[in-house]
Amino acid sequence: MTETYKKLVDLYAGHELTDELNAELESASLADPELAADMASLRLTVDALKSTPEPEFTEESYQRILMKVYARGVEMQQRSPDPAHLQYYLPIQG
Amino acid sequence: MPNDELQDSLAEKRWLTALAKGDTSALGGLYELYGERIFRYTFRMLGNRSDAEDATAETFLRVLRRASELRADGAFRTWIFRIARNLCIDKLRQHKLLELPADAHYSGGEERSTLRITVQQALKDLPTEYRDPLVLCDLEDMPAREAAEVLKISVPALKSRLYRGRRALRDKLGGTLEMRK
Repeated sequence: MTETYKKLVDLYAGHELTDELNAELESASLADPELAADMASLRLTVDALKSTPEPEFTEESYQRILMKVYARGVEMQQRSPDPAHLQYYLPIQG
Repeated sequence: MPNDELQDSLAEKRWLTALAKGDTSALGGLYELYGERIFRYTFRMLGNRSDAEDATAETFLRVLRRASELRADGAFRTWIFRIARNLCIDKLRQHKLLELPADAHYSGGEERSTLRITVQQALKDLPTEYRDPLVLCDLEDMPAREAAEVLKISVPALKSRLYRGRRALRDKLGGTLEMRK
């Protein structure tokens, strides 16, 4: 595979190619199994990476980080608690 | 600029100005704005929650320590990510972390979960030189120019590392990707 094709595959994998170049590369891949395999596996890699779920920033982590900072003598302003009327469900009378 | 981003940008300027004037309580405001992103980034770099919490806390402490260098000129995000990144590099050097993140939260079917854990594992096994651009650009969706500034390299160098990193990740994943076809 030429260096040019390799660069194009890099762009193809990241969905960075124009539609025109995309079509041209796909057409070239029909006659070149090595190119086709490179395109498919690299795009699959990028897609798998991008679909990795975000690590969850839990309330526990949020609080533990605040505590670690506090333990070093710095008090960070905390989230203001929800107003009391939003904390509980109050059934409507009547 | 969307309304939320505008609000965040105004809030950031307000907190930075206050912090530069010595108002330490402004650090909490910056934590509200950036805490989650810095945690996510450090988690992805270090691979476990406990180290990510340590690195996030230390990042904000360093912001406070270096508050005199702060400027409300839009470069804060790059600066704080650079601090977090340097801390991650230090931690990785100290501990040579190799274990799987036991407390990561994954969703989806068993097959997809396996693949995701493998992606996470493969990412963690990559040299930092490659992991950095993959985390910043592909996972954090940071624009190339900004990611290059965080890493203190040129945009072409960043792109080169990103593309080589993707290929290295593919090689590490090997046959695992076949499952997806």
